[in-house]
Amino acid sequence: MITIQNLTKIFRTEELETSALSGINLQINEGDFLSIMGPSGCGKSTLLNIIGLLDSASDGSYTLSNQEMIGLKEKGRSSVRKENIGFIFQNFNLIDELSVYDNIELPLIYNNVKASERRLRVEAIAEKLNITHRLKHYPQQLSGGQQQRVAVARALINDPKIILADEPTGNLDSKNGNEVMELLTDLHAKGATILMVTHSDYDASFSQRTILMKDGVVFSEKMNQRNVDVFKI
Amino acid sequence: MAHNWIKIFIYHLKQNKLFSFLNVLGLSIGIAGLIFALLYWNDEHSYNEWNPEKDTVFQVLVKLSDSPASSDCSLFLKPVLDKDTNVESIMYADSWYQKDKIIYNGKKEFIDKIINVEHNFFSFFPFKIIKGDAVSALKDDSSIAISDDIAKRVFGDENPIGKQVKCLDHRFVVRAVYQIPGNSSIAPNAVVNRMKELTATYMTAPFAFKLLIKVKDPLKIENTRKSLERLYNYDFIIRVAKEAGFTPEEMAKKIGHFTVFMEPLSKARLHCVADSYPEGRGNYQFLLIMMSLSILILILSIVNYINLATANAINRAKEVGVRKIVGASKGNIIRQFIFETILISLFSVLLALVIVELTMPHYNNFLDKNLVLLGNQFYLQLILIFIITVLVAGIFPAIYVSNFETLKVLKGNFGRSKNGIGLRNGMLIFQFAVATFFIIGSYIVYQQVQYLSNKDLGFKGDQVISVPLHFPSSDYEVENVGQHIYNKYTIIKQELSKIKGVRQASTGLMSFDGSDNSITPVLYNDELFKVKSIALDFGLFEMLNIKIAKGRNFDRKLASDTINSVMINETALKLMNIKNPIAKEIIVRNKNLKIIGIIKDFNLLSPEEKVPPIVFYHLKTVDIARNIDKVFIKLDSDNMENTIVNIEKFWRTVDKEYPFKYDFVDKEYARTYEGYVKQKNIFSLLNVVVIGIALFGLFALASYSIQRRMKEIAIRKALGADTNMLLRELSAQYILYCIIGFLIALFPVYYLLNKWLENFAYRIDISIYPFIIGFLALMLLTLIVILSKAYQATKVDVLKYLKYE
Repeated sequence: MITIQNLTKIFRTEELETSALSGINLQINEGDFLSIMGPSGCGKSTLLNIIGLLDSASDGSYTLSNQEMIGLKEKGRSSVRKENIGFIFQNFNLIDELSVYDNIELPLIYNNVKASERRLRVEAIAEKLNITHRLKHYPQQLSGGQQQRVAVARALINDPKIILADEPTGNLDSKNGNEVMELLTDLHAKGATILMVTHSDYDASFSQRTILMKDGVVFSEKMNQRNVDVFKI
Repeated sequence: MAHNWIKIFIYHLKQNKLFSFLNVLGLSIGIAGLIFALLYWNDEHSYNEWNPEKDTVFQVLVKLSDSPASSDCSLFLKPVLDKDTNVESIMYADSWYQKDKIIYNGKKEFIDKIINVEHNFFSFFPFKIIKGDAVSALKDDSSIAISDDIAKRVFGDENPIGKQVKCLDHRFVVRAVYQIPGNSSIAPNAVVNRMKELTATYMTAPFAFKLLIKVKDPLKIENTRKSLERLYNYDFIIRVAKEAGFTPEEMAKKIGHFTVFMEPLSKARLHCVADSYPEGRGNYQFLLIMMSLSILILILSIVNYINLATANAINRAKEVGVRKIVGASKGNIIRQFIFETILISLFSVLLALVIVELTMPHYNNFLDKNLVLLGNQFYLQLILIFIITVLVAGIFPAIYVSNFETLKVLKGNFGRSKNGIGLRNGMLIFQFAVATFFIIGSYIVYQQVQYLSNKDLGFKGDQVISVPLHFPSSDYEVENVGQHIYNKYTIIKQELSKIKGVRQASTGLMSFDGSDNSITPVLYNDELFKVKSIALDFGLFEMLNIKIAKGRNFDRKLASDTINSVMINETALKLMNIKNPIAKEIIVRNKNLKIIGIIKDFNLLSPEEKVPPIVFYHLKTVDIARNIDKVFIKLDSDNMENTIVNIEKFWRTVDKEYPFKYDFVDKEYARTYEGYVKQKNIFSLLNVVVIGIALFGLFALASYSIQRRMKEIAIRKALGADTNMLLRELSAQYILYCIIGFLIALFPVYYLLNKWLENFAYRIDISIYPFIIGFLALMLLTLIVILSKAYQATKVDVLKYLKYE
């Protein structure tokens, strides 16, 4: 579904050029659950942002559903983004001024979904994620775990082709973190494609495949065992 | 402490150079406007303030039925007033100035403010007497008192007291030199006492001279007023009824009802019902408009300041938090922020003074005054403005900032706090309302003034000049003065017509400057009508392109047209309700005159007033040619300047004493509504200022509010919102505020502008267009400001806000 070839990203400042990504090759198939790990500054978030079309690459090729993304204009990127990609952030990135319901509904509005259908879909997803009783609340009134559930709901509402999660448990305690990871595993089991950036080996162990990045290149890649070692926490 | 405050103040000043500058500029424009209005206000209110008699001196005004009140009072009031125990003294006087020259030892000085009064003038207007004394200053009709600057001009360093001068064709002895302590409703350069020769005649006329009375107890003035009113409505009516052979009731019906007003000198300048003092009256309505508009502008700029300060405060939340943690109390924080407001206000006041000083000449020219930035009263007011500005602008943001919760602030995430948004938006709506008011208001004012200047006045004066004509006094001392003057005028007319470029010359006892408001009684069918009467020479109507509606014009070939012919205008025809008017007779000045034609109405007074009813007759019909004081000359349209130069050459042989002056008739008329043209100009200027300030406020507020929403914008973008959607979302609330502000302003603007339009007899009706145009203009400006700001916001790097906030 996603094919990345020779992707590079260079940050330029007045004095120096820094290569954040230097020649990344990556293949993500439908139904994959992939983790990216690596030390701070290795380029994993940059890669995620480029895949999420929030950032642009300097060179190389990135195809999503056989469509070349590099060189796409802002308008095209926003339309690909809203139809294909769901985001989950470390700090949730919910809009404080909107209620939970309104936050979840937002992607549907940008996708021109009819109001009546929006309602049904928001309610359905809220039920699935067990936040129906929170729909009228505002983000500030929820716990971190609940906020991340809302963010997940928002990421899923549009049935995206791929879910991009940037350290989804980074701001959560272990109990809430676990819940979120189980949620993602569950989604994966139901066929969702997920790409997750994480620092935590534990979180990564939920995924099928982990790639390790260092200094802008893919350092190693390994397949994970599906069994979870609960004593490793 | 102060040092620390100043450091951080300067840091923020440098950080927000543009906003700080615009903030100071906005405040200083607001303050400058208020200073201007205050100077004007002080000047107008200082009239007669110096005069210790201002509350005991009253002028008597008489109003007959619904004609305008007049300060010309009858002499038959005197005996009653003399008996009135509450009346200390009375004085008849002219209500205008005469112009003439003072001749001393062969040296001539022109003076344009000579007033003719009675001997006790200085007890009504106790000017400071520098030389001589007040009691004997005007003891007889050969006494003259002069102002100190005239004394200087005429006598130099000589002592003027006891010196003989010639003026107004009489010899006078200078008996006093005075100085006028302040603005005064009567502020002459020279005062003479020659009322006696006038008061000896006109004993019975109902309207004669200005009458001032000084009373012992101002509270008992009502009794005096009633007795005077009775004199008019009872004694006078009975007498004229007897003379005319009617019953008093019939006569009362014919003449109408007299109302007498007593008006203290303290109200003479701004609250007078008639323009009755030689220095004229102030335009109180315009004064109020100026005052309220300038206050409005200052409020607007203070609102901007508060908005910016509270919006900016979010950026300073961390500073406040840290200060609190290291021991600052709430009062401490408040003091710091008020301190900053004091500095900003101080800059603004200084800049305002610079603005005022630089633009003062234009303002003085506009008001026709001589205002200066001086006076204790003004300094006090300036300090008051400063204090009020600091309090209003400073207290609110200071308290707002000091109330930040330390912990919340330091934990971050405060940037998206909703604190104070409601208030800021409320003020934004207020600004929209004010801007709407100005846009629509100035458009309506513009329309009205445009309407006046394009209105068909009924005459064309662009090629006609009016030249004042003075004959030497010896010409008035011959037998049959009228004929003599008429002959001299005829010779001048013939000479003029020989000058190349002069088409025609004529005269008429009329002026187009709106100054002439005399009234003549006219009888038709035994019914009395109050109309204007104008004596003129042949050819004047053609020269001025005044059209004849019916009948014929005066014809120099018909002898009867200088004996018993009269023309009336359409308004007079309507008033007198004459069917088939041609050849009907009316009685004017005790002469039976036959109507030969109807003149189409033309404007003579200012456009505020309706065309008055007028009757026209030839100068010789009524022996009035001695009053000829000007010549109207029609010029060829090409080479007018040259023609005027030639006329001037000729004029020096006609009038050796006075300098040649001329005025185009249309310009003379345009001066009658000059005030409104000025109002239009100032309204347009204020319009630009107000819209500028309001848009700056909008820009600043939108900047801050969008800044505050950057993260939201980034999230929306990440979720797939494209630029157009974001622009719509970001501008929607401002468009809503704009509409609310517009709606709020609708009623006030309609009501107040309608009130203003009521000044005019000829006025536009307020149509829907100013509102549509105002709305579109406001919306357009709002959209430009908001969209430019919002567009910038949509172009930002999403990652920056998603990642690090």
